[in-house]
Amino acid sequence: MDYRIDNNGGKATVVFTGDITFSENVSFRQLLKDISDQSVEVCNFDLSSVDMVDSAGLGMFLIAREQSETAGWKLTVSGAQGHVASMLKLTKLSDLLDA
Amino acid sequence: MDEKTSSQTQQIDELALALESARVLVVDDMALMRQMIGMCLARGGHKNIIYASDGDEALQMIADDPPDLVVLDLNMPRVSGYEVCRSLRKDPRFADLPILVQSASETPEERVEVFASGATDFVSKPINQPELLARVRMHLENRFLINSLKEFRESMNSELVMARDMQQSLLPDETVIKDIEKHNNVVIEHFYQACFELGGDLWGCWQLPDDQVGLYVLDIAGHGVGAALNTFRTHASMGRFQQARVDPALFMTELNSVLTPAFPLGQFATMFYAVINYKTGHMTYAGGGAPKPMVIGPNGVRLLDSTGIPVGIVNKPDYVNIEDKLEPNESLFCYSDVLVEAPERDGSMLGEEGLVRWVEELNQEGDRHTLISRLLKRFFDAQPAASLPDDLTAVVIHPRDLGAS
Repeated sequence: MDYRIDNNGGKATVVFTGDITFSENVSFRQLLKDISDQSVEVCNFDLSSVDMVDSAGLGMFLIAREQSETAGWKLTVSGAQGHVASMLKLTKLSDLLDA
Repeated sequence: MDEKTSSQTQQIDELALALESARVLVVDDMALMRQMIGMCLARGGHKNIIYASDGDEALQMIADDPPDLVVLDLNMPRVSGYEVCRSLRKDPRFADLPILVQSASETPEERVEVFASGATDFVSKPINQPELLARVRMHLENRFLINSLKEFRESMNSELVMARDMQQSLLPDETVIKDIEKHNNVVIEHFYQACFELGGDLWGCWQLPDDQVGLYVLDIAGHGVGAALNTFRTHASMGRFQQARVDPALFMTELNSVLTPAFPLGQFATMFYAVINYKTGHMTYAGGGAPKPMVIGPNGVRLLDSTGIPVGIVNKPDYVNIEDKLEPNESLFCYSDVLVEAPERDGSMLGEEGLVRWVEELNQEGDRHTLISRLLKRFFDAQPAASLPDDLTAVVIHPRDLGAS
C-alpha cells in the first residue's frame, strides 16, 4: 500500500494504491498521524487504485473514522471498485464510511 | 530505576558472569604459548581455562566435556589445527562451537584455508593481547546471545503449540460432529487451518430442537495472536445465548451487544449463522459481512445474501433473518475470505466468481459429499509454495433426507 495526501486548504484527498491488508497496519497508522499533523476539515479516501482490501484493512478505515470524529474532520470514501466495493457493501461499511 | 532498565541491567550482569565462567580451551604444542595465552585470558577476567598440548588431546577433551570456545594453534605435530577444525565441524554437536585460530605464518592462501576448514576467526602471532581478548569476548558474547535467543524461541514455540491446541478445542469435537451427522442424517465436511500457529477463524454447529441444526462461521479481523484471543472471547460469549440459538438474527444481535464494548477499535468479526431443518430443508439465516455462502445443487450454485455489519462495530446492527429452502441434493457451503482473496501463482485473485466456477466444475465431477476436499486440493495446488496469507475455514453441510418423505 502507498498513499499520497493532497491537501487543498483543509479539503484533503488521500490517494491509495496497492492492497490494503493486515500487513499495512504500520503504514496506515503513519497515514493517520500524517493527517492529524495537518489542518484538515474534510478528508476523502480515494480507493480507485486499490485492488484489494481485507478485513483488517476495513478495520483500519474504522479507526480512521473514529479519529475523524474525535478530531472533528469529516471522512468520506470514494472510487471503490471491484473487490473493494463488494467488501464495503457486504459489510455495510459503505453506509458507515459514507462511501 | 524503572522495570525495563532494571531487567536490562540484570541481563548485562548475567552476560558478564557467563563470560567470566565460560570454559575456554587453549590448544598449543608450545608450553610457553599456552601459558601466555592463559595469562592474557586470566587477566581479562576469565576463570575457567583448560589446556591441551596437541590436536588429539584437544579433540578428546572437547568430546568429553565441550568448552564454550577454543583458541587453536595451527601448526602442531600429529593432528594439525586444520584437522581439528574439520573434524569438529563434521560433528553436528560442535557445528556452532567458536574456534579462534592463531598462527605465525599468515598468507592470504593460509587465511582462505583456515576459514575453509571451519574456523570462526583468526588472530596472528605474535599475539596482540588486547586483540586476542577482544575477539574471545566477542565470540563468547555471540554464542551466549544466540543460545539465549534459541532458548527463547523454543519456549515461545512450545507456548504457541499449547495455545494452538487450546484453540483447536474451540472447534466442534469430532464426536460432536459425528453425533450431529448421525442424528440429522447429514454429512458435514469441514476444514480449518490457521496461517500462523494461532488463527482468527471460528466455526461451530449444534443440535437444536424440532429437527434443526445450527451452523456458524466467523472470522475475526486480522490474524495471529490478537485475533486468536478474540476467538476465545467470542466463543465464551456465545455460550451465554443458548436460548437465542434458534433465531440467527437475535443470536447475532445478542453476541454483538457483548462484543461491541469488548472489542478494541478496528476489530470485529464477520459472521454467518444459519438454522437448517434437516427434514424439510427450511433454512433461516442472518449475515454479518461473511463471504457469501453457496447453496450447491445439481443445477449449479446460488449465493446467499450475507450482507450485514460485522459483529462488534455498532450498537444497533439491525440483523435480519432471511428465509430460504434447501432442495433435495442441495448443500450449504460456508468459507472464510482467504479462499477468494488468496493470490494464485500468476498473481491474480480467484475472486467470488472464480470460486463459484470451481465449485460448479467440481460438483459435476464426483461424489458431492467429497466436494470440499476436492475443492481444497485444487486450491492448495494453485497456491504458491509459501503459507496462506490468512486463516482458512471451509464447512459444508450435505443433508441426505430432503425430499425423502
